Amino acid sequence: MDKGGDMMGGPSANNSSDFVRKLYKMLEDPSYETIVRWGEGGQSFVNEKFTKSILPKHFKHSNFASFVRQLNKYDFHKVRQNNEDNTPSPYGPNAWEFKHPEFQADKKDSLDNIRRKAPAPRKAAQGVEESSYPAQQMDLVNSQLMATQQQLQQLSERYQDLAQGHVVLLQQVVQLQKFVKAHDGVMHKVMGFLHNVDNTQRRNSRMAPYGGSTAGSSLMGGPASTEEDHPASPLQQASELLDKYSAETLPNLELSKMADDYHLRHDYSTPPSDQTSAAIGPTAASTSITQLGYPMHNDLDNMVYPVGHTNGIDPINSEHIHNIPYALPPNGLMHVESMPEMMPEASVPGRKKISVDSPWGITKPRILLVEDDRVCARIGSKFLHAFQCGVETASNGLEAVNKINNGTSQFDLILMDIIMPQLDGVSATVCIREIRPHIPIIAMTSNIRADDIDMYFRYGMNDVLPKPFTKEGMLKALEKNLPQFRKNTQFTQSPATQMPAQTQMPAQTQMPAQGTFVAPNQPQPQLNLNMGQLSAAQSMKDETSPGKSPATASSWHSPSQLPTTSPVTNMSGNYGPYSMAPAHPQHSHPQSGYQPPNPAMGASAPRAGGPHRRVLSDMTGASAQEDHPDVKRQRMYQPQQGNF
Amino acid sequence: MSPTTHDEERSEEGSVGAPDLSALGPNIDVLTFEQILEMDDDEDEREFSRSIVFGFFEQAEATFVKMEDALKDKDLATLSSLGHFLKGSSATLGLTKVKDSCEKIQHYGAKKDEDGTADEPDEEKCLERIKETLDTVKEEYAEVEKSLKKFFGPAP
Repeated sequence: MDKGGDMMGGPSANNSSDFVRKLYKMLEDPSYETIVRWGEGGQSFVNEKFTKSILPKHFKHSNFASFVRQLNKYDFHKVRQNNEDNTPSPYGPNAWEFKHPEFQADKKDSLDNIRRKAPAPRKAAQGVEESSYPAQQMDLVNSQLMATQQQLQQLSERYQDLAQGHVVLLQQVVQLQKFVKAHDGVMHKVMGFLHNVDNTQRRNSRMAPYGGSTAGSSLMGGPASTEEDHPASPLQQASELLDKYSAETLPNLELSKMADDYHLRHDYSTPPSDQTSAAIGPTAASTSITQLGYPMHNDLDNMVYPVGHTNGIDPINSEHIHNIPYALPPNGLMHVESMPEMMPEASVPGRKKISVDSPWGITKPRILLVEDDRVCARIGSKFLHAFQCGVETASNGLEAVNKINNGTSQFDLILMDIIMPQLDGVSATVCIREIRPHIPIIAMTSNIRADDIDMYFRYGMNDVLPKPFTKEGMLKALEKNLPQFRKNTQFTQSPATQMPAQTQMPAQTQMPAQGTFVAPNQPQPQLNLNMGQLSAAQSMKDETSPGKSPATASSWHSPSQLPTTSPVTNMSGNYGPYSMAPAHPQHSHPQSGYQPPNPAMGASAPRAGGPHRRVLSDMTGASAQEDHPDVKRQRMYQPQQGNF
Repeated sequence: MSPTTHDEERSEEGSVGAPDLSALGPNIDVLTFEQILEMDDDEDEREFSRSIVFGFFEQAEATFVKMEDALKDKDLATLSSLGHFLKGSSATLGLTKVKDSCEKIQHYGAKKDEDGTADEPDEEKCLERIKETLDTVKEEYAEVEKSLKKFFGPAP
């Protein structure tokens, strides 16, 4: 077609195959036009009498089919006519139209790109090569498999941990039930005694039944006194109320203790009522004391600090890691920083000196203090306690990672020493970031050169608290990194947002608090549902709980309390933390769970973050009742007057 | 347990540089140390600060022993980490001089100069410096130990 193209064709055609070049040349030659020519647009070529006149002359192919095969080998494709239209080819019935993307009129250069496709034998060779691909892939798959197996292993370990937790929990529940039962017995004895006293007194003086009440309350503690204040009260009703109160408060104490043990939710750990804890909660009280991170007595004696064969701490010697001189709380429990407004004075040994006002709202942050130095750790946790944070310590990075890993405790922030034995703070941060990508981690170190700090940030730490830290500096760092806990923001937040979800705290960490606090008013269904929901521990459940739970429950629980409970709330409150799956919606349940059982009081403070607040208001409500016996009598005796 | 002088001192609680604290001498950073005193629940018994300080004594003495051992073994790395270790707690208590010396040991152990800025490849030199510094820090420690023990009075 184009002579210029022809002229240039010679040299440039070197790379393209003879077959293609011959074809192209023929197409360029007008003398062949009747036989073979470019199709419209120059993108295809058409041949008509090709078979007869051309093939024998110019190509080795004796028949057309062979020629077509050859074309196909060079990736030419026959242009198919649109069969649906049944329109004959524009080039005639016998015309064959072929095209190749690189084979175009005026584009001789692109001929080089037309290559014979790999022949069949080489295809087989390729097949062999490809079979080596799978070998590599096998490796990949193998490693993936290994990883999966590892994950599986981790999961099963996790599961075992959880199952163990369940066992202990169930044991505690059983213990609790025994305890409640025993207490119930005591209560009944006391009631019997009271009955006698009351009878005597009524005989003696119908107007002065208080003598009985004082005798009773000295034995029974708080809940009893609320009834006994009342003159000439029908003791049947009193005992009914007693049952109710004891059943309400007891499980709460125990359950919150259990929850503490496993979830370190110490900010709600304090018993809702001083009186009850003094009277019936010795275990709860003692645990909260023993969990104080800094032993108050015989401090040095209790230290694990090695004085004997191992002298001092060699931070890089791994065998010393178990001799870390901190007074680590037993079972790695978190140190309790009880909320002052909730804590019975007795168990907080004089906080008068601690002048720091809590900057936090209702929910106190829980801090993991990772520090290998005993002095620093103790001072740091003392400061944190002063700030009313929950504190748990880890003496090296590995311990910290384990604490985060096993998930039994949830933290809102980590203070991380950098240079530590076993695992340094930066590495620990990297590990923790895999699990808790957003938890604030503050480097706590004396190495604060610019490149050090740069490294801390690069490895995912959020802030640096230079050592030696000051109280103010620490508080500032906490406030800066825990804005959602601060007092002023607290009240504007809805319950849902107020949960530490902002710090990626799984919802369930907040749940136990609420669930447990719901408990006082409906402990019984809580237990049952708890058992029922322990899907991971079905077998344990079958062995230990089902018989006992309902039985004991019904023995202590006044049936009239049951209908008011919200099973879903209870279930999620208690089950959630163990399931570790945020399956239960966090919103709505604090209120729904809490209010129904106690409508009169529930109105007092259904506010955000409320567990503590609500219990507090309950307490104050209760004491208010004691102050105003009339009001209380009205309330308490109203339903029963019909009975009496 | 020591109804000594700090009754009066604590009566003006919070005032920085109360007389008794300044008596602790220039080796102790009063501000830092007072922070710990403030953590005491009871200013007569001083349970917390006392236990911290006496715990530090044990820790420091034990660390010195370990340092001596490491010095014998010419174990610079251990010396460095021991220096770092004691640096942290002494700094937290405000024992400035002890802290500074510990930091030097940390640097020498890391084969650096006193400030930790320049390398000092000569191990023998580093060991020699650590030996000197260790003697110094022991003296400094003895000094603060004395004044602190005086401050806290006899153990309850």
